[in-house]
Amino acid sequence: MAVDLGQMAELLIAGKVDDVEKMTEQAIDDGMDPSDILQKGLIAGMDVVGQRFKACDMFIPEVLRSAKAMGAGMKQLRPKLVASGAKMAGTMVIGTVKGDLHDIGKNLVGMMFEGAGFQVVNLGIDLDTQVFVDAVKEHKPELLGMSALLTTTMPKMGEVINALKEAGVRDQVKVMVGGAPVTEEFAKEIGADIYGANAASSVDKAKEVLEA
Amino acid sequence: MKSVMPDMQPMNQTVQETPVFQVLTEDQIEQIYFSALEVLERVGSRVHHDEALELFRSSGDAVVGDDKRVRVTTSLVERALKSYPRKITLKGRNGVRSVALQKDHVYFGTGSDLPFTYDRKTGERRRTQYKDIVDAARIVDYLPNFDFFMSHGIVGDAPNPLTYDRHQFMAMLEGCTKPYVVTSVDGEGLEDLWKMACLFQGGENEFRLNPMFVAYIEPISPLTNDRTAVEKLLFAAEKGIPAMYTPCPSSGATAPATIAGMLVQSLAETLLAIALCYLKRPGMPLIMGGVTTVMDMRTTTYSYGAPEMALASAANTDISKWLNLIMFSTGGCSDAKVLDEQAAIESTLSNLTAFLSGANLVHDVGYIDSGVNASLESLVMNNEIIGMVRQVGKGIKTDEAHLALKVIDEVGPGGEFVTHDHTYEHWKEWFLPKLMDRSDWETWNAEGAKTMLDRVNDETQRILDEHEPQPIDDNTRKELKKIIDDADKRHSK
Ligand code: B12
Repeated sequence: MAVDLGQMAELLIAGKVDDVEKMTEQAIDDGMDPSDILQKGLIAGMDVVGQRFKACDMFIPEVLRSAKAMGAGMKQLRPKLVASGAKMAGTMVIGTVKGDLHDIGKNLVGMMFEGAGFQVVNLGIDLDTQVFVDAVKEHKPELLGMSALLTTTMPKMGEVINALKEAGVRDQVKVMVGGAPVTEEFAKEIGADIYGANAASSVDKAKEVLEA
Repeated sequence: MKSVMPDMQPMNQTVQETPVFQVLTEDQIEQIYFSALEVLERVGSRVHHDEALELFRSSGDAVVGDDKRVRVTTSLVERALKSYPRKITLKGRNGVRSVALQKDHVYFGTGSDLPFTYDRKTGERRRTQYKDIVDAARIVDYLPNFDFFMSHGIVGDAPNPLTYDRHQFMAMLEGCTKPYVVTSVDGEGLEDLWKMACLFQGGENEFRLNPMFVAYIEPISPLTNDRTAVEKLLFAAEKGIPAMYTPCPSSGATAPATIAGMLVQSLAETLLAIALCYLKRPGMPLIMGGVTTVMDMRTTTYSYGAPEMALASAANTDISKWLNLIMFSTGGCSDAKVLDEQAAIESTLSNLTAFLSGANLVHDVGYIDSGVNASLESLVMNNEIIGMVRQVGKGIKTDEAHLALKVIDEVGPGGEFVTHDHTYEHWKEWFLPKLMDRSDWETWNAEGAKTMLDRVNDETQRILDEHEPQPIDDNTRKELKKIIDDADKRHSK
């Protein structure tokens, strides 16, 4: 029996990580079109999750479980999508800047982007400027996310942007910044492309910029 | 001795004069405590500090894993627990030993390091500066219901992020003469702040007897101890500086989504520090802490206004009393973006529960915007709230004079009490509102129809215009400046 992509979307909405992963595998084995699996299964589910979250019918623990299911499905599907040249969300590298140990906000942002179909590389906390530059060179991400929760570490985000310029890779990547003391104004000042006030809204903003 | 025949003779009864508020039974506390010990034996806590790891290793009472995970025996924890002082008295730079941290003594104070300030003149949120700290300090110096001062804001205009703490402490010293709780960049920063404080207390040993501040230090939930935090802790232990190691878990994100689970985890985090400080120097004045709250599941905000924060904090205080530890707790704070009705509601709830639970240092009073935004007005409003809370805490006296049988008899049916001696004597035991309006409609209109917020704003301005704290003498000022300048020089290279 062919995999029911509608059911797959339902399982994703219900946050069934293992089931979604298995079903994706099954669908691939059945020879279904990877683009169809993505659009009619995974993304169809995540779209509902997004709407329900905005309507306050779903909450962070549920949304991030669905995001995890999305990530699990994408792990199976990504190689097929790449091979078929289908359009999909790219890679995001994210980390907390040097001197800053705040972890959880950045992790939630990463999970949210995973839910949007991105491949997320989470570098960790307290990262040297060079680590960001090297990661951009290595992973060639569409997005670089930096987190700073301290006024004292915020300037490091500007330093990273300058280092990206010096390394000649600034134009390859959209830079997104966030964290409690960070503002839209500050993001502009240091030459970042996107300011994200919270995990959910930053996904929308990033999509807008990347699709523009 | 002449004995007065009482109106009524109580026999064999326990007179309860203050409200009783406890959110955990002793059995529940034991369950949480034993679970925390189990976490330390089974899961352990990661420690990123070589000396600390060596202390654990050579204790024979801990196992240090390759991943720097330290697992600690109950035997060590229980020996350590017995070594901590049950009383610490703080002395302000005004020379008054005003904060006696001991069981059920409750003191209120600000929080620290708010990156933004709500500017009441422009109605905008802007970055906090040195002058804002001095202003907050002056307000706290003036307000009678505040007992200690944390910086409220962060000095955003300091020359160097690595030395901002010295400048911040200077601003605190300038504006406020009450005891402090201080945040610092690292061990070296704490050492400088301690040197600055010793100038006022008359040296290192005097500081031990009359500490002017408590050092604020935090682990990273879950179960992680970073290098700078441990560095500060060990320095505090070495010098006998009162310090707290206060977990800041958010239930559902960096701790279990159940309050009991969060309490277990944060107690394990505390007990690790209890063991470590004991190995470094038994008896150092360590204080238990905890900003225990939930992460809001709609916004991801670390909530400063959730009822779960108030409840979990009260539970933590129950645990601290059972462990004979002094407690640093949280209250008077809010998730509201500006000082509004939400801020008043949330501040009231957490102030009340913190007070009734008997926490010793209740901090973060005046925080708005979930610990991001500073409001001087919020301090002024909270002063009134705390006054009311303290009144509730006074409870009801039921001795002869307070039962007032004689008075009831004298006045009799249909009389009045207003002009009676008894009233003249006792009404002053009541709370006297300063900002709460109880006038009639007519009068209220005639006086400008001012809302609570208007009155709070006026009072804030009046204090800022009028209150000058006791100044720091020129000599001390010079020495303070030298410590700060030296730090700036060391770090400018
Ligand atoms: C919990 C906490 C901690 C924990 C962190 C534990 C952990 N596992 O992460 C601990 C205890 C370790 C900690 C330590 C310190 N903290 Co702290 N901390 C907080 C607190 C209370 C909550 C942060 C949090 O977890 N929020 C919940 C998460 C989910 O939200 P978030 O981090 O804001 O992330 C969201 C958005 O900001 C955004 N976002 C974040 N990053 C990114 C990145 C990108 C790319 C995008 C698009 C979006 C984005 O999306 C996220 C999800 O929605 C904040 C107050 C606050 N309200 O921010 C203070 C706060 C940030 N800390 C503060 C301070 C001062 C410190 C210390 C310096 C204290 C000290 N003196 O020891 C140390 C610093 C240690 C260090 N070197 O980093 C200050 C900062 C002031 C300033 N200078 O700017 C704050 C504002 C509190 C205060 N007023 O004192 N802290």
